[in-house]
Amino acid sequence: MRCLDWPAVVAAKTNHSACAVVHSQRVVSRSVQAKKFGVEVGMRRRQAQALCPDIEISSFQPDRDRRAFNTVVRAVGEIVPLIEVSEPGVIVFAARGPSRYFGGDAPMAEKLMRALRASIMADSQFGVGIADGRLAAHISAHISAQTQTPFLVEPEKTKPWLAGQSVRVLSEFAGIDREIISLLERLGLNLLQDVCKLGESVLAGRFGELGVELHRLARGDEQHPLAVVAPPPEQLCSRAFEEPIVDRQTLLNNVQTMADELGRYFAEQGAICVRLILVFVSETGERCERLWYRPHGLTAASIVESAKWQIESWQIKAPISGLQLIADEVRTDTARQLKLWGGATQSDETAAQAVGRLTELLGSNSVQVAKWQGGRDLQDAYQFVSVLHSQVAHSEQITTQAKKLSVQSPPQPKFWRGSLPTPSPSVVFADPPEVQVVDKNQNLLRVSARHELSAEPAYLLKGEARHKIVSWAGPWPVEEKWWDIARSRRLVRLQLVVEKNATPSVGAGGNSVGSAGLVDPAGSVGSAGSVGPVAESSEVRAMLVALEHGQWSIVAIYG
Amino acid sequence: MKLLVPKALAIKHSVFEKQVLENFAVSESVRSVLPESGLVRGRIVRCCGDAAISLALSLCARASQQGSWLGVVGVDHLGISCAVEHGIALERVVFVHPPEASRDWSTTVAAAIDGFDLLIVAVPERLSIADARRVQARLVSRRSVMIIVDTAVLSQNSFTSNSHPFHADLLLDTKTKNWSGINNGAGFLQHRQVEIKVSGRRVAREQRHLLTCSH
Repeated sequence: MRCLDWPAVVAAKTNHSACAVVHSQRVVSRSVQAKKFGVEVGMRRRQAQALCPDIEISSFQPDRDRRAFNTVVRAVGEIVPLIEVSEPGVIVFAARGPSRYFGGDAPMAEKLMRALRASIMADSQFGVGIADGRLAAHISAHISAQTQTPFLVEPEKTKPWLAGQSVRVLSEFAGIDREIISLLERLGLNLLQDVCKLGESVLAGRFGELGVELHRLARGDEQHPLAVVAPPPEQLCSRAFEEPIVDRQTLLNNVQTMADELGRYFAEQGAICVRLILVFVSETGERCERLWYRPHGLTAASIVESAKWQIESWQIKAPISGLQLIADEVRTDTARQLKLWGGATQSDETAAQAVGRLTELLGSNSVQVAKWQGGRDLQDAYQFVSVLHSQVAHSEQITTQAKKLSVQSPPQPKFWRGSLPTPSPSVVFADPPEVQVVDKNQNLLRVSARHELSAEPAYLLKGEARHKIVSWAGPWPVEEKWWDIARSRRLVRLQLVVEKNATPSVGAGGNSVGSAGLVDPAGSVGSAGSVGPVAESSEVRAMLVALEHGQWSIVAIYG
Repeated sequence: MKLLVPKALAIKHSVFEKQVLENFAVSESVRSVLPESGLVRGRIVRCCGDAAISLALSLCARASQQGSWLGVVGVDHLGISCAVEHGIALERVVFVHPPEASRDWSTTVAAAIDGFDLLIVAVPERLSIADARRVQARLVSRRSVMIIVDTAVLSQNSFTSNSHPFHADLLLDTKTKNWSGINNGAGFLQHRQVEIKVSGRRVAREQRHLLTCSH
């Protein structure tokens, strides 16, 4: 079952608005209305806005998408017992049992469509597809979503039907790299049956391990052969707590330890778990079961993330008394397993362990990494992201999406028009302290509409202290969103070099004025080069101040 | 998790028994400041004054480019563009916001020392001497480097060098002498002259260096 463009559906505030979800300046997902204007996935944000000026842009928030999807998951969960959710918008489940219960594929599909229509908002495209094999099921769900009626493929007819599909489906639904697919097209293999006809050995010779996988996918089999591995002993798989756990973090720690042990057990046998059933048993006897699948294997971190998602979506808030991790499908571990951080050095691994320990101690919001996102304001240029979110969601989810968009991740710092010149300040205040900048007559400095200062800045007043301003540069105006009255911003930035020691008061400030008088004729006359050195005794500090809504504040300090 | 930590310990210990771990390399602009021309493992460097944060970032830059991980603990207002301009590899930096209480802070920093080779920390006011000793001992055993930044800008506490809970091996006191490039409305801040006073128990006598740098 698939709902197209789930992030856009969630982000749209009203049912019929055009909306696009943007991640690092590219459109990740767009609503039906936006599609009518021609907005496509992978476009730049500016292009989308050019096509549709009224479009609502919202940022990519996987947590929000997941939470919103939980209602749909619950609705489907009432009809089908064991479901698998790989990303928000797609649900996969085994159809044989439920269809026998409902008396056939078609009645079951109808019931699902009705449930979906009840739980999803009106203006979105969703569909139910049933077919033999995972890839075929994904394709049929996609077709069904476009036509809004269930799409069923007869079991015997799946293989020939699949053979007639274009090779692009491999990159969209099976996670194969887009470049490989374009290479296949350039080689003249446009349909899956062409890939099949080529033969496994030829593909293996050209692409290696990937070629074998391509052939297997084109045939309609599962993406990987099942490995036969002795089942792990009972104590690794399930854990019962004498004292039921209420705290979510303790529960997740338990999941983490179990996932680590299970991972190590399978690694010793040269295998990795690709499909896992996660079961939570509550004190009152309710069970919550969910299937988790990842084609390249489930790492401990992704299992913990899935557990978090499952717990959030489960409505019963009773304490948990039992936990089970049942490995459903296991495959042999090849060298392409995604490592936790993509790093192979010893220091990367010790750092990863330390991050895990710190997250355990402090919670995931206190351990962060910085991601470039770009902006004129110093606080906006880099965004803090919690490490857990960035390493699991970023590397696995966004990379699969990025493969569809062919966007590099992470984004590299680029030139941003209107930003401050380098060197950048070393201390940036999230909450700028307010100050007053006055001229030599103690009048507050103002900036005219033509961005001219009312007078030369002379002193900086911070609380009780008065600092003499040695030199200054600016004013540099910043105007943002002038077309939007609610969100427009007008501010002016000024670089100041002030004396570090505060002058005591106006009367006794004669000394500093005198010494400054000695320096000025030498320094200020001449080209806009360097200022002459200030007298030995005083130290200076450079800072950036901004005037917004008539109030000056220190934005950053060059320290 | 309980099984993994001793393994990491074993690896780190065996490495330094078999070979002497080198000091961390430091970029040329600040190399003259350090007595050993590099950051010696297991030591604490304390930077104070105006240019403390910039100096701390310059010290870490070369090591970060060569693959070491940097943990920034408790320095909430760090300017990230500045760090990137110094040359720090942002994909190997983790920002940690520790609690203020003495015992919790020391546990957090100890966990950070276990994993990161370099640390830039801001010391809280109420850190007890016992907890500081524990952290320092951990630092020596793990052979990481801790750089304490100490400016009046960050926090309102004022540690004099006698009352600081950590015994710094090297104390770098910075004073910005002047900024150039700016001239009463024209130009923008480009270069500055910083005087760095080097002192501490690893230095024979106090030295002064005058550096001109562009940040």
